Amino acid sequence: MKAVDGCSIDIESGTVVGLIGPNGAGKTTMFNLISGFERGSGEIMFKGNRTDNLPPFKIARCGMVRTFQIPRALTKMSVLENLMLAPTMQRGERIWNVCLRRKKVLEQEQAIKEKSMGILEFFEIDNLKDEYAGALSGGQKKLLEMARAIAIDPSMMLLDEPFAGVNPTLSRKISGHIDELRESGMTFLIIEHDIPAVTKISDWIVVMNEGRVMAEGEPEEIKRRKDVLDVYLGGEG
Amino acid sequence: MTELLGTILPYITTILLFASIYAVFALGLNLEWGFTGLINFGHVAFFAIGAYTTVLLNISGCPLIISVIAGVALAGFFGFLLGIPTLRLREDYLAIVTIGFSEVLRSILLNEEWLTRGPFGVHGFDRPFHDVIPYQHYNTFLLILFVAILVLVYFALERLIQSPWGRVLKSIREDEAVPSALGKNVFSYKLQSLIIGSAIAGLAGAMLAFYITYINPCTFKPIETFHAWIIVILGGTASNKGTIVGAIILWAFFSGTKFIDRIVPVPFESHQMGAFRMIVVGLLLMLLMMYKPEGIFGTKEELALSD
Repeated sequence: MKAVDGCSIDIESGTVVGLIGPNGAGKTTMFNLISGFERGSGEIMFKGNRTDNLPPFKIARCGMVRTFQIPRALTKMSVLENLMLAPTMQRGERIWNVCLRRKKVLEQEQAIKEKSMGILEFFEIDNLKDEYAGALSGGQKKLLEMARAIAIDPSMMLLDEPFAGVNPTLSRKISGHIDELRESGMTFLIIEHDIPAVTKISDWIVVMNEGRVMAEGEPEEIKRRKDVLDVYLGGEG
Repeated sequence: MTELLGTILPYITTILLFASIYAVFALGLNLEWGFTGLINFGHVAFFAIGAYTTVLLNISGCPLIISVIAGVALAGFFGFLLGIPTLRLREDYLAIVTIGFSEVLRSILLNEEWLTRGPFGVHGFDRPFHDVIPYQHYNTFLLILFVAILVLVYFALERLIQSPWGRVLKSIREDEAVPSALGKNVFSYKLQSLIIGSAIAGLAGAMLAFYITYINPCTFKPIETFHAWIIVILGGTASNKGTIVGAIILWAFFSGTKFIDRIVPVPFESHQMGAFRMIVVGLLLMLLMMYKPEGIFGTKEELALSD
């Protein structure tokens, strides 16, 4: 059995695409394939280059970043440290720079710190900066995970269930952030089970079932499709 | 009074000499395990490579400092060789391969007599400044030298782990999928950590050889790896300060119990005492895990956090 088979989707830059489908439809596998965490036999193009043969860290460096369904906070590091880890190509990540070019490393470190604080403020979790990430609530970890992903300055974000287990207020807040970021030109692919939330922020919806794309279209159109309702509601809709 | 001092001082010097050697040795492991999460059960192999390379090069005519540098470099190089096939796999593979490697290496040291002089071991090599320092002060000099090396290694490691480089290592220890998703080449960082940790063990090996002046394959039994683990756990994983304190405690305990039968009667022969000491160490570790699992310098809050 293949989790994802003969699946093809196109995502236009600067749009929000929602990826929905019942459990086991292959959505997360799709994410793993796109982000390089799993290998498949298909072709994946990002900004005109093939990425399906690249390891995850190289895909991230191309500007495509993912979050995880269960937030992966780096528990024994502070919230600020979690954010400061993210920016790619930091000078201080190379040993010889740490040893020999301390001043430049410290300068850049200060800039990264300021930028990270800005992102924490954007997500309104700047008051938690010195807390261990492991001490955050589930919802706060979700925000931290998104904030950390944004800190690498991606051009595209893959969000795996950003609204799951999040209270309505926080959920609205996350939607707001996604809207704001889309305005600034970022592209999103979002896996979500919360259909009202995802149809509200998406420009386009892709429905997966049993490893294939079973429908795609504008949110309003998808909401009216009987076959989509059937897979979600078990034929009673 | 001076007489008492005259007997106690050399004794304390001995403890501190061993403690400083093992502190450096365990600092290498702490970088790998404490900060990167790598499980190295063959740390002693790099200790042995450092020691043997240094003394063998030296007795074949190589200047001492170059021999030490070669020993450190070769230990690091073997860390690199072992890391390449194992560090892409799950963490337990490194543990299996390193423990195997350390035993294979000991066999080689024991059997390849043309190279290592086999079970007879190596002695008669130079010690640093041995021709300048008077014999009766030599151990004091060595202690000063070793403490200087320890301080140097400590500050170098602290600078590294507090840098963005160290931040990446810690993130790998926490959950390597995250740095990977954020564009960090996790494999390369693990390899760097293993190379540096191994090189530090190699340096400790050279220090050991200088102090004990005679090494043979039995000097590098697997138990030495676990001495390093005990030191790291005792002091508090991921604390370099704790590692140094752990080394002092372990050696104070080992040496302190050596003559305990002269003070209190113990129902053991002296050769049984060695085994009994290890039982006590094991017991103390169990108690430590129950009542202060974070170690002496570890942070309790960190321990309470889970995913």
